[in-house]
Amino acid sequence: MTTTTTDETVTGRIFEIQRMSTEDGPGIRTTVFFKGCSLKCVWCHNPESISPRMQLQWIASRCIACRTCIADCPEKALALSPEGMRVDRAVCNGCGLCAHVCPSTAMEMIGKDWSLNDLLHEVLKDSAYFQQSGGGITVSGGEPGLQARFVATFLKRLREQGVHTALDTCGMVPREALDLLLPYSAMVLYDIKEIDPEKHAAYTGHSNQAILRNLMYTGEFMRSHIYPRDLWIRTPIIPNATAEKENILGIGRFIAEHLNGVVQRWDLCAFNNLCRDKYLRLDRDWSYNENGLLESSRMIDLFETARSSGVDPAIVHWSGATRIDEPSGKDAKTICKK
Amino acid sequence: MHAATARAVTQELKEPKGLSPRIQWLRDYYFKGTEREWNNEFTAWGTGTPWDLQFNEITYYIVPETYLLLQTMKGSFHQAARPVALPADFWSRSLVERRAWFVKETMVKYVPKEILPGDLIAGARFNVQTSMCLTRGERKTYDRLTIGKNGARHQVKWFHDHGYGNAGATSGHLVPDHERALLLGWKGIHADLESKYAELSGTERKGAAGAQLRAMMTAASMPKELAEGYAAVCRDIAATETRPERKKELLQMAKNLDRVPWEPPQNFWEAIQALWINHMLIMSDENYPGPGVSFGRIDQYLLPYWKHSLANGMDRAFGKEILKCFWIHCNTAYDAMIRNGHQGITAGFGQLLTLSGMGKGGADMTNDLTYALLEVIDDMSPILEPKPNVRLHRQSPEELLDKLVAMIADSQGAPFLLNFDERSMAGLMRQAQMTGATDWINPETVHDYAPVGCLENTMVGNDRSGTVDNNLNLLKAVELALTGGKDLVPFTNPLTGKTEPIRQDGPKTGDASRFRSWEEFWAAYAEQTAYIVRKCVEVHESSEAIRAHFFQTPYLSCLVRGCATKARDVTQGGAEISLTTLEAVTFATTVDALLAIKYLIYDQKKCTIAELVQALSANWENFEVLQAMAKNKAPKYGRDDDEADAMGRRVMELWCAETWKHRTTTTGRRYRPGMLSWNYWAGDGYIMAASADGRRQGQFLSNAICPSNGVDIHGPTSNANSVGKVLGGRSSERGDWGDYCNSLPNGASHTITFNPSILKDPEHRQKFKAFLRGYAENGGTALQINMLDSGMLRDAQENPMDYRHLLVRVTGYNAYFTTVGKELQNEIIHRVSHSRF
Repeated sequence: MTTTTTDETVTGRIFEIQRMSTEDGPGIRTTVFFKGCSLKCVWCHNPESISPRMQLQWIASRCIACRTCIADCPEKALALSPEGMRVDRAVCNGCGLCAHVCPSTAMEMIGKDWSLNDLLHEVLKDSAYFQQSGGGITVSGGEPGLQARFVATFLKRLREQGVHTALDTCGMVPREALDLLLPYSAMVLYDIKEIDPEKHAAYTGHSNQAILRNLMYTGEFMRSHIYPRDLWIRTPIIPNATAEKENILGIGRFIAEHLNGVVQRWDLCAFNNLCRDKYLRLDRDWSYNENGLLESSRMIDLFETARSSGVDPAIVHWSGATRIDEPSGKDAKTICKK
Repeated sequence: MHAATARAVTQELKEPKGLSPRIQWLRDYYFKGTEREWNNEFTAWGTGTPWDLQFNEITYYIVPETYLLLQTMKGSFHQAARPVALPADFWSRSLVERRAWFVKETMVKYVPKEILPGDLIAGARFNVQTSMCLTRGERKTYDRLTIGKNGARHQVKWFHDHGYGNAGATSGHLVPDHERALLLGWKGIHADLESKYAELSGTERKGAAGAQLRAMMTAASMPKELAEGYAAVCRDIAATETRPERKKELLQMAKNLDRVPWEPPQNFWEAIQALWINHMLIMSDENYPGPGVSFGRIDQYLLPYWKHSLANGMDRAFGKEILKCFWIHCNTAYDAMIRNGHQGITAGFGQLLTLSGMGKGGADMTNDLTYALLEVIDDMSPILEPKPNVRLHRQSPEELLDKLVAMIADSQGAPFLLNFDERSMAGLMRQAQMTGATDWINPETVHDYAPVGCLENTMVGNDRSGTVDNNLNLLKAVELALTGGKDLVPFTNPLTGKTEPIRQDGPKTGDASRFRSWEEFWAAYAEQTAYIVRKCVEVHESSEAIRAHFFQTPYLSCLVRGCATKARDVTQGGAEISLTTLEAVTFATTVDALLAIKYLIYDQKKCTIAELVQALSANWENFEVLQAMAKNKAPKYGRDDDEADAMGRRVMELWCAETWKHRTTTTGRRYRPGMLSWNYWAGDGYIMAASADGRRQGQFLSNAICPSNGVDIHGPTSNANSVGKVLGGRSSERGDWGDYCNSLPNGASHTITFNPSILKDPEHRQKFKAFLRGYAENGGTALQINMLDSGMLRDAQENPMDYRHLLVRVTGYNAYFTTVGKELQNEIIHRVSHSRF
């Protein structure tokens, strides 16, 4: 088992295939999460998506403490203590033998290389549901644009079979990747997280300039091509980061100015803190560990800001979890979206 | 019958709504339970002979919880029985005529008649234990056949104790021909019986045929005389009633009862009155409250009356008010053993009614009454009876689906079962082809089916197919293949503490450790499957024969097409379609066990068969690593994994083929396959030895056609796809109905648990609707929708390995519930209980 190289024309590296996904575009969808991301958002909800390498994790609730993995590890990188499994990540070479021998799937390799045909076979299993719902396949990540050649071939094959395709991108990709992907993406879900380039760089490791240029390019592309037909913008609302009025206002103005009539929908996605354990399992710290959820009033406030930012108010939606105020009942109905 | 899993529900419960003071009072009164001054508990009635018998134990052979109570119940009802004065020539009549007379006499003259305050429907007490009317000689024979050495009771107990399952000739479980009874009235049914009797030769009249038709004529006059009694009660109450409105209602009820159910009803109120009396007397006739005595396509055959009354001035709300009274009446079935706890000993009666569905030529049959009935269900729920079932198909209207999804969202779960026509009808067409009964089931008629009990598909009005009579644990054959035909662990009688020696019960398929290939193992498994099916048929026959000889139901026979023509009781195979159904239990556990054996022993060579047998005998103790591999590494059915599902298909084809080979000896009823597990999958989990899929003894088995607990880690679509595949999938060459294939004419129980976020807003409800339409393409015959609740999540915290499939999805984030830490789990539980994803 090798983790170093994958020939992206032959295989794609995927960390999750989500069936009956209802959050990644229209209808019932199967979302393919590609591993490896061009951004390193400090709040990332799926930290296992960032590294393009295969990664090892240990899931405590599954472990039966049989120590098979420890005995079989060729690098002696594993140790079980009362606090749990310790993976010496300096020694571990990611060979994956421990996950292979683990009888209870407590040791798990995140990431699997899929051949195009196997992947097509897998994702087309829900075709009946796509047809009934107007759904299809969403490629997400990570950043699918980092595996553009494989993903483009994948999307092309899907389009040839009449399957609706959606590209979910953070926008931080080379222009060539977009040229490969856009012609076969019936729609694009595009993240704009932060309008201020410096703050964007501080939160994600990169300025947003290339991202905004790519977004405008996508808009242009749509005007002159059959596909993509739809463009949805998504903004994660993160406390102490993106959850600021001026940010939302700025993003709204950008959309209104450059993408008027092209964007069908702008989703504000409320932050949730349910991914703490994912960081723990990867032996990583998370600076948002202690961050609570937003109050619903704050979320509604930002939602109204977005609606009044110059975009068509009808395209603005919000979703996600907000703080449950005790005692309950006060505004229980208004809290859960709409 | 539904296997309701008891769970602490902390969510806001749906409340009934829109109830008039009348219905509110009746509903509240009903839920007072034992505090009520009136109830419908069993009353017992006897011939006064010392050898008299009321309680027919064979009816309970499929309820293992009652085995220890059978003797007590038999004694108690006999002791409690009040005498009914018999005519001088009583004992010279045939048994079936004695029964017909006795039930009628009891219901008409002895059982008290009451009208509840405000009620619009008459017919209150129907739970009776009437004498079986046996002579001393007959009783002796009955005892020998039931409790004698190797009698029926011993056989079924052995079958159950050794983990095979259970079998017994059970009452109910059919859709009577209500449509005809309303169209003709009992007057018409009686006239038909008279003319059939007139056609008999002298010899025939002296024989069984004559006795049967005379008994049926007696039974056919029972509803009329009962209605006369109730009419008098209505007039008595009206005489002292001071409120003019109520007085008017009571007098109208009396007038209704003067006509129906003897004459054909002329309006909706009369039709519901007639339907209720016709229905409740079946439960009296069978000495059993409503086990799957189902109403069928009620929105079809009641529609003419509904339309007529609406056109002639009936207020739609009043029509619904009549229906709501009918709802209350259905629930009093549960009063039978009210002192033993609210539901007595049986947890579900399953008076199923069916709405919507396909008509001739594939037309959709949804109508105004369909919606009125859905509104009644919505207003009245939560309430147990009658159990609604909605038939969906490719042409089901959006409006209907919108209404259903709204109801599911309000109730946090479906207050009805969904049936899927194309797949269901494919199964019934398969049955027609297998049995040659194409006169009764063909492309022109097959749409006229309805489920009974929980979801068992039968044709309406002419079909009794013993849908809960044979319940077989398929897993037993895997055990026997591993051991060469012997129990893996010896049976210890819990009462005596005595352990029985292990015997060679099944065929000697040889020492499994000598098998050199998976196919050799499969051959042994196939041979053991043939044996357990044969054994089940044998056990069932012992009670089927007793019922046919001693427990005829002439009243019910009047309501089943075929019985009058053949002059044969429905218990003797009188129905036009008279089959019995073998319901396979533990399907997924069986498939997963076979997959694990193939994976561990033959493909991956992780252990030998001898080691596996040792591990199973030890209930996996000290074999935890092997157990973990069986649970987590071996493939599983229910994940839309083609290879695993192919094993499921192979298992399905095998046991179905074995089932079709048999028919009952006494009554000549062909066996057909189905999948319903009632609550056996839970209870029998304590009896059956550990299994190769990693399940320990004491853990639940799999339920009906559902994947094993916690294995469907790829969500509802993959779960549904696997179910569709093992039923036969779709094929343009081999399709039974269009390109739909279905091995199971009875259908298969399938439950999927959804995350409540799927219904959180209109956009998601559209997606859920599309899921249901997708299920119609890819899924099974019937679907029960559960919503994940906080109780289930708490259970998942305690038993994470049973809930590996629980996915929590909040925008942008997804994780399996059991992989996140306790603190976050609590947060998620908190959100679920506030419906706040």
